[in-house]
Amino acid sequence: MGGSSSSVSSSATSHSTGVGGSGRWSTGRIAVYALFVALTMVTSFIELPIFPAAPWLKYDPSGIVCLVAGFAFGPSTAAIVSVLGFTPHLFADPWGTLMAIGVSLALSVPAALVYRRWRSRRGAVSGILLGAAVALAVAVLGNLAITPIYAHMTVAQVAAMIVPVLLPFNLLKFAIHGVVTFLVYKPVSTLLNR
Amino acid sequence: MLRDVRFSYDDGTSWAVDGVDLTIPEGERIAIVGANGSGKSTLGRIIAGLSAPDSGIVTLLGLRVFDGGAHADRYRKARHGIGVVFQNPEDQIVTTVVDDDVAFGPENLGVPSERIGERIETALQCVGMTGHADADPTRMSGGQQQRVAIAGMLAMRPRMIVLDEPTAMLDESGRSEVMAVLDELHAHGTTVVHITHSPDEAMAADRVIVIRDGRIVEDDRPSSDSMPSSRPGPLRQKASSPNAAHPSSAGPLWQRELSDECRGEGVEPPDRATVGRESPSETSPHNRDGSPIITMSHVSFAYDRDHPILRDVSLTVNDGETIAVMGRNGGGKSTLIRLLCALATPDDGDITVAGIPVARRSSGGSRPLRRRDRRGLRGIVGYVMQHPERQLFAETVADDVAYGPRNLGLSGEELDERVDTTLEALGIDHLAGRSPFDLSGGQQRMVAIAGVLACRPRILVMDEPTSSLDADAAGRIRGLIARLGEQGVTVVIVTHDRAEAMSADRVVELCDGVVVPHVPNAPDGRPAIPSTPASPSRKGQSETRRNTERDGTSFVAMLDPRMKMSLTLVLMFTAFAIRTPAQLGIAAVAVGCAMAAARLHPLAVAHSVRLFLGLFAVMSMLNVFFVRSGETLLHLGPIPVTDDGLWTALVYAGRLALVVVLGAVLVLTTTPTRLTDAFEALLAPLQRFGVHTGEIALVMSLALRFMPTLAGETRAIIDAQAARGGSVESGAPLQRIRALTAIIVPVFAGALRHAGNLGLALDARCYEGGEGRTHYRPLRCTWRDVVFAVFSATYLVVLFATPILFVR
Repeated sequence: MGGSSSSVSSSATSHSTGVGGSGRWSTGRIAVYALFVALTMVTSFIELPIFPAAPWLKYDPSGIVCLVAGFAFGPSTAAIVSVLGFTPHLFADPWGTLMAIGVSLALSVPAALVYRRWRSRRGAVSGILLGAAVALAVAVLGNLAITPIYAHMTVAQVAAMIVPVLLPFNLLKFAIHGVVTFLVYKPVSTLLNR
Repeated sequence: MLRDVRFSYDDGTSWAVDGVDLTIPEGERIAIVGANGSGKSTLGRIIAGLSAPDSGIVTLLGLRVFDGGAHADRYRKARHGIGVVFQNPEDQIVTTVVDDDVAFGPENLGVPSERIGERIETALQCVGMTGHADADPTRMSGGQQQRVAIAGMLAMRPRMIVLDEPTAMLDESGRSEVMAVLDELHAHGTTVVHITHSPDEAMAADRVIVIRDGRIVEDDRPSSDSMPSSRPGPLRQKASSPNAAHPSSAGPLWQRELSDECRGEGVEPPDRATVGRESPSETSPHNRDGSPIITMSHVSFAYDRDHPILRDVSLTVNDGETIAVMGRNGGGKSTLIRLLCALATPDDGDITVAGIPVARRSSGGSRPLRRRDRRGLRGIVGYVMQHPERQLFAETVADDVAYGPRNLGLSGEELDERVDTTLEALGIDHLAGRSPFDLSGGQQRMVAIAGVLACRPRILVMDEPTSSLDADAAGRIRGLIARLGEQGVTVVIVTHDRAEAMSADRVVELCDGVVVPHVPNAPDGRPAIPSTPASPSRKGQSETRRNTERDGTSFVAMLDPRMKMSLTLVLMFTAFAIRTPAQLGIAAVAVGCAMAAARLHPLAVAHSVRLFLGLFAVMSMLNVFFVRSGETLLHLGPIPVTDDGLWTALVYAGRLALVVVLGAVLVLTTTPTRLTDAFEALLAPLQRFGVHTGEIALVMSLALRFMPTLAGETRAIIDAQAARGGSVESGAPLQRIRALTAIIVPVFAGALRHAGNLGLALDARCYEGGEGRTHYRPLRCTWRDVVFAVFSATYLVVLFATPILFVR
């Protein structure tokens, strides 16, 4: 997996002309960020109902993109991809988007931090579990804070009625994120190292 | 002026470029020709100053940039005078307006904003794209995109342009457009280095350099007729490969060079006799009983009301026939075959495929396929999308090819056998254990097609099967199609290529969404091929229109985007403080003013956010049930509906609707470029904390530009895998997860591929960080912004004062 200064290139040895060394971000890095952010944007618009009990709660695969980005390039990439990736939604759903950004950061950044320490399958799994736990907390707190703004309910009402549905839904969502990322990461990392 | 370029280049164990001496005098046009893997692309990159060799001396434009070590400053300087154009047109486009895209290069060079406009104009004129300054380059044809890319380079006033196989991914008309531009450039005195694998294109150059295995084997003026090339090359040839003296066979050296590639790739060359049939009667009739297997009647389809793609299309295909569908870009060919494969539902009309009712006309439109029928259809129809190699995902070729049959229910030995026979039939069985991502483009395509053929379809539908392939790979595919036809498979091909259409039984032309009655094959076996018109289609006009709406002269459109964006966000966030209907009314009036000032029709805006509005309506209904205070108006079962409840529902739904409408107004009146400029400006204060705001803004802008591209590719991959039986929405959990993987891995692969090309393109445009860049369209606050600010402030004051001053 690349460190923070290598550009995405296909040759084993570096044939850099040195021009990219001035700023911190090389053009290769900018390109990769851009595509991952674009991918997050695209996936954030895909919505699949996964919870038969509450069909209005939709799963969106963007968490997978942020996790993969974090594993491949580090926590700062995960952060950038999470924040920038949701910005288009800001103009449709301001508070909800802020929460979505929070959840995405909570999932991908801790996972990336753990993986950076332990670069192994076990490290990946622990990272995902940690990320899922933090993200779950953020999701519940966020909903408690924001749902009253969107629908006329008090925080207590939200806690009583929404949280019992929200918890299992989010657990399922993060489980899917985790499993798919795990399955997908090996082929993707081979591609990255090519 | 380019002098002695000379180096060796060790890429680990083998030398991609091995001892090359090359001098290119200023103003010359040279062509570098070689087979795939010969090192021509690497050489091109070294000449362009994009990568440094391992040893040797490189002098570009008079600057010695490399002599054992790379001199970054000199490279930087040299690059400012060198333009580079790559193979893939769409990965060189950085934004969604032609003007801004061409301006990107000069902006990076620090050209003052006033001067950029004239540079853009001259550049567009040179490539013949003058009228398209406001158009969206991401929606143009490949040839037009390549010309825009060249214009982007020209705007930087380079002394030399290096083009790395610029026409490889283009169709005939695109190719001729680009070649015409090259002639123009040469006439203007720019040094042109054209890397290509096509001997015809090399003919136009002053000098042709043939490269093989990293060495130059010939360096000469191109000859117009075939002759034995046992003559040694001229003076500068240093390394002479032992095979340089061929026995006299027809064709200049480089043509034979390229046909050797076929054998080198390890795929059997097509049997020439089976490529292209001269007349239908030659085909063995035993599997063709001639009854219709596909019937489409009165099919219509449109993505949105104003732009129908297909209008009243009726078509019949007989069993065992091979038909070619032709027509302009955007004319609906791809849509037509997607409808055939039940990947989309038509708005109207009937479609029957092999007895299965894919779509049936009913009162509201056409009814789509039932699930059971869908499964049956998957086993009968095979769908090969454009660039099918993009759907490869598995670890080995055999696994990928097995995906389709496995979804159809095969397993174990039967599955293995099916995979083996399919691979053998296509001549790629020796690749079975390799990773699909390690293969060449032509091989990858064969693997992808194998994946579809392994399902043994009776009907094969292919969308541009030979696009972007070189002559030999294309020939192989055509041979395959011919063989399939002989075996009785019904084949429907979408193509731009005359050669392919000629080998079909029948040609169907789609023009403006209708099937044009076509003259059947002439007696000598050559079907009448429709000529592809060169002018931009209706789609081009609509894309111009869409952009001018944003660049229009309405009050809102002329606002400084920084002010617009920040104030809009403030208005959106504060809208959540609206609690009373009176406040809602005030807000509605304010938003109404905004729409009027933007010259947007309220219904059009509502239409663009209709999904949200529906959602809010539903959500607000929940509020009705929660609020119990106030007078009860009626009872719905045990639940009282009160007037307070209704007001609350109205207020909550209303304010959400206003938020969404405000967002829509912002997006509809500002181009993505302006939005990211504003974004960058607003982030600027963070620079003090070491945050690279310029780079972040560029990332944002590129992401927005690539979003539709990736969305389209994701859609195509989902379709292609669905056509092989993989579906995320139904089936056992394990199968669904596998299906999700089969979509996600190729999508990531595609994103990385784009990123690689994009990185090179950014280098070629001399992007060197956010510092020192100028802006083509500088942001300026005008009186309008002051008015807007005052208006917003007033609105906010009134909004928050209302509940205090007035009691409802």
